[in-house]
Amino acid sequence: MILDLIGYAAFFLTIALTYAIICLGLNVQWGQTGLFNVGVAAFVAIGAYVSALMTTPEAAGRFGGLGQPIAIGWIGGAVTAGLSSLLVGALTIKLRADYLAIATFGVAVVIHLCALNLEWLTGGPFGISFIPRPFASYAGEPLLFGLSNLALLSLVVLVLYLGLEQLLRSPWGRVLRAIREDEAAALALGKSSVRFRLQAFAIGGAIMGLAGAAQAHFIGFIAPDNYQPTLTFQVWAMLIVGGSGNNRGAILGAILVWGVWAISAGAIAAIFPPGEQASAASLQIVLIGLALCAILLWRPRGLLGEVKTVSRHLAELSPEGGRDHP
Amino acid sequence: MIAQSLPPLALEARGLIAGYERDLPIVRGVNLSVRVGEFIVLLGPNGAGKSTLVKAIVGLVPIHEGAVLLNGDDITVAPPHQKIGRGLAFVPQTENIFTTLTIEDNLLLAADVIPKPVRARRIAELYAMFPDLAAQPSRPAKLLSGGQRQMLAVARALVVQPSLLILDEPSAGLSPKIVAEVFGRLKAINATGVTIVLVEQNVKAALAVAGRAIILVEGEARHEASALELADDPIIAELYLGAARARS
Amino acid sequence: MSPQVIVDGLVAGAMIGLGATGVTLTYSILRFANFAHGEFIAWGAYFALAVSGFLGALAPALTAPIGPFSFGWSLPIAALAAIALTAALALLVDALLFGSLRAKNSAIIIMVMASFGAALTLRNLLEFIFTSSPAYYAEGLQMALRFAGVRATPDALLCLVIAAIIVIALHAVIAHTAIGRAMRAVSENPQLAAIVGIDSRKIVRLVWILGAGLACLAGVMAGLIVQIRPTMGLDLLLPLFAAAILGGIGSAMGAMLGGLIIGLAESLTVALAGGEWRAAVAFVILVAILLLRPHGLFGRS
Repeated sequence: MILDLIGYAAFFLTIALTYAIICLGLNVQWGQTGLFNVGVAAFVAIGAYVSALMTTPEAAGRFGGLGQPIAIGWIGGAVTAGLSSLLVGALTIKLRADYLAIATFGVAVVIHLCALNLEWLTGGPFGISFIPRPFASYAGEPLLFGLSNLALLSLVVLVLYLGLEQLLRSPWGRVLRAIREDEAAALALGKSSVRFRLQAFAIGGAIMGLAGAAQAHFIGFIAPDNYQPTLTFQVWAMLIVGGSGNNRGAILGAILVWGVWAISAGAIAAIFPPGEQASAASLQIVLIGLALCAILLWRPRGLLGEVKTVSRHLAELSPEGGRDHP
Repeated sequence: MIAQSLPPLALEARGLIAGYERDLPIVRGVNLSVRVGEFIVLLGPNGAGKSTLVKAIVGLVPIHEGAVLLNGDDITVAPPHQKIGRGLAFVPQTENIFTTLTIEDNLLLAADVIPKPVRARRIAELYAMFPDLAAQPSRPAKLLSGGQRQMLAVARALVVQPSLLILDEPSAGLSPKIVAEVFGRLKAINATGVTIVLVEQNVKAALAVAGRAIILVEGEARHEASALELADDPIIAELYLGAARARS
Repeated sequence: MSPQVIVDGLVAGAMIGLGATGVTLTYSILRFANFAHGEFIAWGAYFALAVSGFLGALAPALTAPIGPFSFGWSLPIAALAAIALTAALALLVDALLFGSLRAKNSAIIIMVMASFGAALTLRNLLEFIFTSSPAYYAEGLQMALRFAGVRATPDALLCLVIAAIIVIALHAVIAHTAIGRAMRAVSENPQLAAIVGIDSRKIVRLVWILGAGLACLAGVMAGLIVQIRPTMGLDLLLPLFAAAILGGIGSAMGAMLGGLIIGLAESLTVALAGGEWRAAVAFVILVAILLLRPHGLFGRS
């Protein structure tokens, strides 16, 4: 019984940590560049699919059979997602905040469409199965399997966290902070703000891709429906709840929101009869949506703190110069 | 002392403390009295808070403490559009006309708040006062020159036949000839009984038309005198240049 | 490009355009991209469905098709009721959420994030109440008319005509009436509008009502011509934004024109490359506009 619980907790935490990685990536994008990315799901999907395609065996009617080791898949996923972010960033970086939101939203829609329609590449609506799982040899012993994967993800998150904190304190990170706080001054010093912000955007995207790959390999199969706006929304909720701006908040927010999500799913599934599970799922999202709106109304503090610094930045991007609301 | 019957107070500010941020007041306890029919100019060095003061009176800048009275009524907490309804008109320094609207639409917009039967007549009166605007009423306002824009802004403010007209640096960016024209207009408008409060950096031109001047320094009303007295008074130069000295 | 492709494109485009006029008005006055606008479209369609169903149960004669159309009087009556209900919904959401955030001078991204949350809530509420199965206003198929080598149902042609009339009327109101002037003023400079005597809060309320009403009509039309689904708003969101931005934020005619262009482009794409790629068309047009001419066809530069 206890072992079951530990097993379940390990599973839950592992998934939460993959979300934490996405949050860390989003924090680099949002916290460092002020770019409001509403297409998070796209970069997670890219990382997941690329990694899956690089590592799965042959499959009928679909590109595959590369059979690369998992680590190579993860790196491939991260790099591809990073390059995609660079491309998206290059196209959108000069847009004002809400146009950028619409554009990145559009990117997510298109990526979802590609995953759904390019069957020869992505397996279409049924997605990709038999994605190799880390520590697959322990599959027979659920507890060992669960704990090993948890350990792996924890290590990844730790390394990422330390790496990002280091990056923030590096000369590169200082330039970004300078750009964020006073773009005019930074420009006067000869730093191209666009280049630095693009780099940050790409790094954030690569991290999201890594998370996607990690998720894909842990679960073992992926499908286009995993990467809908709901995912983007979940991640933003995690960042806001965690009090964005710092990496610790990103990790804690991910674990907390994932916990609430999982518990509410369990509670609602228990209350609703089996035939009405779809309705239950909808109700769960309704409640989470209401909760997020409530948080935005009463306690957006973490986000707000960052917004004060970044909003000046955003105001410059807006053609009207950030005029007041009526 | 023989009691003189002074005109009633058009505008009063009592202990006004105002600013964009609560912990950083720019207007620091200003008392102001303007009588009906006066032509007041607010002078002072840059950053003294003249603009912020009038914006607070109009309702665009939050008032932290104190009161504003218009013709005796307390309008401290009224939103801007309500103050306009009570006879106050304001011409901001920048962005004082709607550039996406035509000249006519700018005036019609202001006229929408006066009773319908009087609207057409009032607009006609303004066109008579400002023939330049009457020449091409369907011209988009964004195509007007600086001087014409200022005229439109003033005309627009006059549509509602205000009892009190406040202007924030109307001379900014205008050539001396246009400035003289604008100020001449203001004097004529004042002669018809409209109380005018003018914020200005162009001291010479302002003192030529104003009746009384109030000098603001660091958010406080430091000095008051008639325009005639001040025109030749070295205190003007002193206060503009010497504000720093006064502080030390 | 065959005439059929054009007709199909115009019909779809008219619905996108009608929805986009609602977006362009609210966007220009509220100054943020409202991701929940699509949900007003969906809720409008479902309100009409519920009311017309209720009316039909009450007085079955109301469901008898009018002339060549597929629906009876229950639908137009229900549509009017739905407009009122959708407007009430929009005002409620504003009162509870956007208005409060506005009062705190919240940054644009918080408004957008909140609209994202509201959209998710509203959409899933619909799914909870009505399930995700498609619904229809009337049972049975409708005979398409044939003329000049094209086929179009009477319903579709009616929607086209109504959409055109509404947009022309809207444009007239905005360009020539006092309230339209006030809206244009608040859209350009809310502070100056206040100084000129305009009560911005009243204008904001009006714009929500107008935007919701237009969204509701677009939803009823989409529900009539295609089908009613909880995700119908989400599916239209990208084309709506693209059309509004293409036309220039603040221009009703621009939004309709943008909608028609996108409708035609989608129709052409479906004819050439199949229906699966329809959703990408709006995105491509959006990116092109944002890169080449962000203020759109009729917007302020």
